[in-house]
Amino acid sequence: MTGALWRIFLRDCALLVPGGRGGGSLLPLLFFLAVAMLYPFAVGPDAPLLARTGGGVVWVAALLAAILPLDRLIAPDLERGFFDQWALRGIAEEAVMAVRIVAHWLSFGPLLMLAALPAAALLGIDGSTLRTVELGLLAGTPGLAAIGVLIAALTASLRSGAALAGLLLIPLAVPILIFGAGSLSTGGESGLALTAAISLVLLAITPFAAGGAIRAARD
Amino acid sequence: MHGFANPTRFLKLARWLTPLLLGSGLVVAAIALAWGLFAVPPDRLMGDTVRILFIHVPAAWLGMGGWTAIAIASLVELVWRHPLATVAARAAAVPGAGFTAICLLTGSIWARPTWGTWWVWDGRLTSFLVLLFLYFAYIALAGAVERDGASSRIPAIFGLVGAVNVPIINRSVVWWNSLHQPPSITIGKSAIDPAFLWPLLAATIGFSLLFGGIVLARMRMLLADIQAEARLRRKAMEA
Amino acid sequence: MNTGIKPKHQRLVLVVIALVALVGAGLLAAWALRSQASYFFVPSEMQAAPPPTGQAVRLGGMVEEGSLKTMQDGVTIAFIVGDGKARIPVRYAGIVPDLFVEGSGVVAEGRLEPDGTFVADTLLAKHDENYIPRELKDMTEAQARAAVAETQ
Repeated sequence: MTGALWRIFLRDCALLVPGGRGGGSLLPLLFFLAVAMLYPFAVGPDAPLLARTGGGVVWVAALLAAILPLDRLIAPDLERGFFDQWALRGIAEEAVMAVRIVAHWLSFGPLLMLAALPAAALLGIDGSTLRTVELGLLAGTPGLAAIGVLIAALTASLRSGAALAGLLLIPLAVPILIFGAGSLSTGGESGLALTAAISLVLLAITPFAAGGAIRAARD
Repeated sequence: MHGFANPTRFLKLARWLTPLLLGSGLVVAAIALAWGLFAVPPDRLMGDTVRILFIHVPAAWLGMGGWTAIAIASLVELVWRHPLATVAARAAAVPGAGFTAICLLTGSIWARPTWGTWWVWDGRLTSFLVLLFLYFAYIALAGAVERDGASSRIPAIFGLVGAVNVPIINRSVVWWNSLHQPPSITIGKSAIDPAFLWPLLAATIGFSLLFGGIVLARMRMLLADIQAEARLRRKAMEA
Repeated sequence: MNTGIKPKHQRLVLVVIALVALVGAGLLAAWALRSQASYFFVPSEMQAAPPPTGQAVRLGGMVEEGSLKTMQDGVTIAFIVGDGKARIPVRYAGIVPDLFVEGSGVVAEGRLEPDGTFVADTLLAKHDENYIPRELKDMTEAQARAAVAETQ
């Protein structure tokens, strides 16, 4: 079982992580950097304003970058019948989903945290704020990955899935954004802890919710 | 179990219960609101603006109650696959969203003179706005599932996941220092004077009856749609 | 291909992991809420850990009885916000909400000056959870509370 899951994990990574065999996309990363670059043009070169609001912009960019690859996350495998295959081989959908959350996180989480360094330079974010942003992204991106897999699984069998994804995202992602971005202003460490707590709750729920959605979509 | 799955018995019950609930709900709500608007004395601090309480608070309870109903119906749908549960959850979403919107609107109108602002991003207000977006997402998801003929268990899963927000709304004023005051009514204890409490209870009963009536009416409508579609499909098969 | 472990047992393993994660989330949240990620700070919190000068923060507490004064310019008001443990003087120029009176709750948005005065840009009145008709207003607060308590 662990062997089979490990092979699924390697396949997911190859498909999703940039540089993998399947050619995962660098698009979310470029998108993230584009937002960090365009924002100063939009608000003007007011350094204190940029530094004060930059952390929040990084968060919004991270959220949007995390949902860019949603349509490739579940739907192609569902169409090609991979989930039926795995079910026949006795692998629980929940386990496949848990593995996919990890692969999805690997495909954007570490890269976003790396990309936050040049983004911080572009926005003029200072060292201690950058540390909070990085810790916040470490606590929050796993939750964003779980939300991504959950939404992708819920909408995989729907024709209008992509349009729905944005609407489903708002209520699910708002809490992470509030506490993640909030840790920059007033929340501090407790904001980070609450972000991590929400991430953990999402990580705990998602394999079952997404697995149930896959089973529902199959029959 | 499949004996209950037949909606005939439900439809027979709903046929006379729907107008009864809607009618009595309208009467009770009208009496309660007239009582609250004209007969109740002004509040010691807020004066006449306190009267918005009789719409705001029942709407808030029903906004949260609506999602609780969705969550329970979703659980029934997922565990027992009861066909009426799907219909009930979908029927509860629209009035639930309506009462949530009413609560946010009246709260905003009330906040302007009393707190001195239309809106603040504090725990209670934010979590209630999230609830409204959960309703929008649920209604859109259930609609898309219906259109594409996908499994009705998909919106049920979303209904259960969204239920996490309900206790957060309920506890938000206790967990965070919030501009919204702590709950006035907790189990066995009320900080609301009886002069306000009785019309509030009456308004809550009236609004709840209306809520139940709207849910039943919408369930009948959705079931009629399903039956009409099944009939069309049968005819297409025969032809 | 036989995978060894049945799907049921795979789910069981995941359930255990999920429960551990949920307990962890609960512990983190409990710790975080104790150290307060709040809409506002109360005076004792603000005195214990003053925010950097010029940073926008919110101060919440009770307006002390007898502390409300109007300055000579007729627009600026000064009062003291307390929470029973600490007191912070507040200055504000602008229109105050209806509910802003001495002895009631208030949330002020603004900045803490180096001299320890809080200069507010916005005043928000915080209502308490008690709703009492105006006829009972002439009673003292304690009497009114007792009257409410009796009728519960």
